Amino acid sequence: MKLNHFYKFLFYINLFTFLFILKIYANEDISERVKKLTLELRCMTCQNQSIYESEADFSNDIKKIVRAKIKEGKSDMEIKKFLSDRYGEYILFKPLFDYKNLFLWLFPFIMLVFGLFFILSKTRKK
Amino acid sequence: MKKLIVLTPLTLLFLICGFFIIYLTSDKDPNMPPSALLDKEMPFFKGVSLYNSNQIITSKELKDKKILINFFASWCVPCKIEHPLFFDLSENFSELYILGINHKDPQQEAIAYLNNEGNPYNFVAVDKDGSIALEFGVFGLPETFLIDNNGKIIFKFMGPLTKEIINNEIEPLL
Repeated sequence: MKLNHFYKFLFYINLFTFLFILKIYANEDISERVKKLTLELRCMTCQNQSIYESEADFSNDIKKIVRAKIKEGKSDMEIKKFLSDRYGEYILFKPLFDYKNLFLWLFPFIMLVFGLFFILSKTRKK
Repeated sequence: MKKLIVLTPLTLLFLICGFFIIYLTSDKDPNMPPSALLDKEMPFFKGVSLYNSNQIITSKELKDKKILINFFASWCVPCKIEHPLFFDLSENFSELYILGINHKDPQQEAIAYLNNEGNPYNFVAVDKDGSIALEFGVFGLPETFLIDNNGKIIFKFMGPLTKEIINNEIEPLL
């Protein structure tokens, strides 16, 4: 009987330890995501600093929001959209790949195609 | 075909140069990015009165009114500069609803500030945690928004308002 209690006790100890470790890992994962995401966001009140690097009041607010949104289960894209809907795309260091920025993203490739076409036509002539 | 091959890169080069010249010589201030909410519907918010915690205002109640929303705080020095201008606006445009949003300010200090400087607002809502400012994309004080009768944001200004801005940009919209 006593041995039974001992095993039960051991079981609960193991369970709590496992859950505790799981929680630590989950928090570390959230912190990593907050870091990664806030490094891609611009501090609007600073000079060329990311939200992660900045300790400004605005940046600390955004860090809190990003953490809360991650805990809510939102994806990185959803969080970026939430912020750019309010602060504009200026808050993102890397512009979104959408129809407004299509020219910006595709222009280097268009130039590359033109350049190749130009070089090919010149070399063929020679 | 030969001409086209020679002219296309040149035309593109001129177009790019032209774009950069226009962009660089324009009055765009990189520190003042355009508001993402301009020409969009006013975001939903709910604010408690600075003077009476039982009084609550929501954006829904403000529909069908022309509203000037001003984010301010007692600790914000530029807010003091623009503050007297709101008295002129409320005197000259009685139908304009001026809503003050007190941003991250201790209640007593906000009340003392309005006692000293005067209160030009029709309602002062408290934004203790900055959640209303977040919905409006505010990142520095003062910031002012003008909302038309349809609930659309038609004007936004970052920084302290001046008489010139009110005369040239706000009044024509009222």
